[in-house]
Amino acid sequence: MRSKPETQSLTAATEPPSSTSMDPIFHLLRILPFGFLRPPKLRLKLPTLTLPSPMTVYALVLLTYFMVVSGIVYDVIVEPPGIGSTQDRATGSVRPVVFLPGRVNGQYIVEGLSSGFMFVLGGVGVVLMDLALDRNRTKSVKVSYATAGIASVVIAYMMSMLFIRIKIPAYLR
Amino acid sequence: MVGKAEPVNGSVKSGSNQSIPATMQSPLKKSDLIPNLSLKTLKLKTKQQELLIRVSILCLVYVLAFITRLFSVLRYESMIHEFDPYFNYRTTLFLTEKGFYEFWNWFDSESWYPLGRIIGGTLYPGLMVTAAIIYWLLRFLRFAIHIREVCVLTAPFFASNTTLVAYFFGKEVWDSGAGLVAAALIAICPGYISRSVAGSYDNEGVAIFALLLTFYLFVKAVNTGSLAWALASAFAYFYMVSAWGGYVFIINLIPLYVLVLLITGRYSMRLYVAYNSMYVLGMLLAMQIRFVGFQHVQSGEHMAAMGVFFLLQVFFFLDWVKHLLSDTKLFQAFLRITVTTAIGVGAIALGVGMASGYISPWTGRFYSLLDPTYAKDHIPIIASVSEHQPTAWSSFMFDFHILLFLFPAVCLISAIAVSATIKNLTLVARAKSKVTQTGSVRGSSSSKGSSKASLDQSQPFQRNGAIALLLGAFYLLSKYATHCTWVTSEAYSSPSIVLAARGAHGNRVIFDDYREAYFWLRKNTPPDAKVMSWWDYGYQITAMGNRTVIVDNNTWNNTHIATVGRAMSSYEDEAYEIMRSLDVDYVLVVFGGVTGYSSDDINKFLWMVRIGGGVFPVIKEPDYLVNGEYRVDKGAAPKMLNCLMYKLSYYRFGELTTEYGKPPGYDRARGVEIGNKDIKLEYLEEAFTTSNWIVRIYKVKPPNNRW
Repeated sequence: MRSKPETQSLTAATEPPSSTSMDPIFHLLRILPFGFLRPPKLRLKLPTLTLPSPMTVYALVLLTYFMVVSGIVYDVIVEPPGIGSTQDRATGSVRPVVFLPGRVNGQYIVEGLSSGFMFVLGGVGVVLMDLALDRNRTKSVKVSYATAGIASVVIAYMMSMLFIRIKIPAYLR
Repeated sequence: MVGKAEPVNGSVKSGSNQSIPATMQSPLKKSDLIPNLSLKTLKLKTKQQELLIRVSILCLVYVLAFITRLFSVLRYESMIHEFDPYFNYRTTLFLTEKGFYEFWNWFDSESWYPLGRIIGGTLYPGLMVTAAIIYWLLRFLRFAIHIREVCVLTAPFFASNTTLVAYFFGKEVWDSGAGLVAAALIAICPGYISRSVAGSYDNEGVAIFALLLTFYLFVKAVNTGSLAWALASAFAYFYMVSAWGGYVFIINLIPLYVLVLLITGRYSMRLYVAYNSMYVLGMLLAMQIRFVGFQHVQSGEHMAAMGVFFLLQVFFFLDWVKHLLSDTKLFQAFLRITVTTAIGVGAIALGVGMASGYISPWTGRFYSLLDPTYAKDHIPIIASVSEHQPTAWSSFMFDFHILLFLFPAVCLISAIAVSATIKNLTLVARAKSKVTQTGSVRGSSSSKGSSKASLDQSQPFQRNGAIALLLGAFYLLSKYATHCTWVTSEAYSSPSIVLAARGAHGNRVIFDDYREAYFWLRKNTPPDAKVMSWWDYGYQITAMGNRTVIVDNNTWNNTHIATVGRAMSSYEDEAYEIMRSLDVDYVLVVFGGVTGYSSDDINKFLWMVRIGGGVFPVIKEPDYLVNGEYRVDKGAAPKMLNCLMYKLSYYRFGELTTEYGKPPGYDRARGVEIGNKDIKLEYLEEAFTTSNWIVRIYKVKPPNNRW
């Protein structure tokens, strides 16, 4: 990976005129093939490397967090089914089972993704609540942020508690 | 870095608090000769009040971190848990008895018979030396404590110290409020408790403290640019290297942090001083540990640190040249040449190093970070370790609870989120009440009062909303505390060596079979007897049974373990040949069929087959399965029904009735009736079975006389 020294940027770099260049290879190339070959005039530009904006980085971090917390590593290694199934003893029909019962350290894929979504929702809710307390916004925006934030946190917390109670019946007893 | 919030309310309060006692204190003191401690004489200034609150909170958090880890000591007794801590305990005992030089040069012939193990060169001494120093310190103060008590309580003690480091870290990154919340959250976090409960005398208990200390000191060094802090962080890194093999994460995380600083344009002289001193001195110190050796220059996992080191030199060089040159165009050209050359030289050096084999590639343990399926497909012994299992979402929830919500809010320390949110909320909530009290405040604070008054007009229900949110935050935090305590009590406080279950009438039944068996081994076998068992129990047999083992938890020799695995999965006569070649006198198996204990050797048997089959192709896993299914009942594979492990686990079990209403020979752990009840042993004889049939010991018979 190419590093960026802090005061330089590649966009500001211009080709030094050939008479003042101190690059030996440049001089060699000027003589040998390009003494008789004429390079065409292209309108290409070197791609400029700019740092992504903080919001882009934050979005990427949030996405990575979502994937990790959903247990994607577990999914890749153990390859559980997307959703489990159990056979109803009386009728013989196959019913889906969302939560892998009995163990803390096992999951189905959909179960992991939905719980991961709840965690991220809770996190985003805390961020919204903090944004709502910022003074430099209009009142309506602040109110909507605050409501959204509180609703997100409450929903996320209640759903996470519900999920874990379904998964581990003996939770907090 | 975001600016820190000034304690605005604090200065307002100091105005009101300071003025009142100043006028009233002097007459009170002069006239009151009797030491009547009324509240007014105890009135401290705000700074002192704040200090008192902070210190008392820290003391409470310190005590809390210690006592929440003591569940198992109160329920069972003060003993060492699990498997690995028994090795650490045995080495610490050796260290305190024989001294440091004997410990450092110790060659142990009691494990990995007949190979032996160079213990001095293959362990991380930090934990043992720490416990020994605490023990000698207490002895010096004439407290005659047994080394086992010191070992049991080392981890909770260091957990308390970690909360202090977390406080300072939070204070460094944000402010003291965040530090306090960080300390409180880390004190009861279940993820940390699970590795540092009292009795879990393992490297991580000390290493997590060293980890946080190294990070804190390095961040402090980068912030202040002081050489002293950088060298302190190098010494903390040395402590971390001596304590745990996970130091590789630090030697990669700190260069990653430096790299991110460089990319975002925060190169400065402070960073240069901090990283250079820390890297050079830290590397030199780390090489003093024999187990680490020259890995810092030879191993692929450490090359990132070296790469960043050279990159920093390039930055400094370019900065210096820029300072000397006045021509920017010339400097641009020079810049491009230098960067290209540096990258080229670095890539060539790395390539030559890796091609010639001098720089070793990433080992399997860390390669699994890049490709998680690698261990499952190629190295079964890494895949079989229970600590390496991948994490499902419920384990995350179990270990972190609401910290999972707080992490996205600020990507580093959730304490910042809590502290900042609570601070903002209290600011808003206080603003209202302060405005109503402006009448009693003196003129110096009236300006602050007016600024609060401007907030007055914005929203009438803002104060109630803020209080409601505050209550909500406190509710969440209290649920977190409840969850953590419940998880600690239920899930993480069991010494695996003593099992507990609920009896028929709800009373608690304790199974102490492991220690019963090891004690029997210690007292009833000749001192030079060799015991063969699966590698899980090796450390415990050597530490408590005091007998030589064939393989133990160090798992450094895969072929030796595969030999034992092959012996366990072969028919009795082939296994006898292998056991004679290894000089085995006793075989130990763990069997859970009578008690329903599910972590016994029959459940671990497939790993024995896989590991043995990995080295000896004569062992094939499908031989032991029926239609891909692992069974022990009548429909099991014939090879399974006659292998050594099956015979040793179920010998005489067919006559035993384990559960009311079920036939004899009903295996409670698998839930089936076993297939082969009539087992005859030809080359072994039963030596001992514990009272609940959990541990079974067999003696290997000497060969028959020829005629």
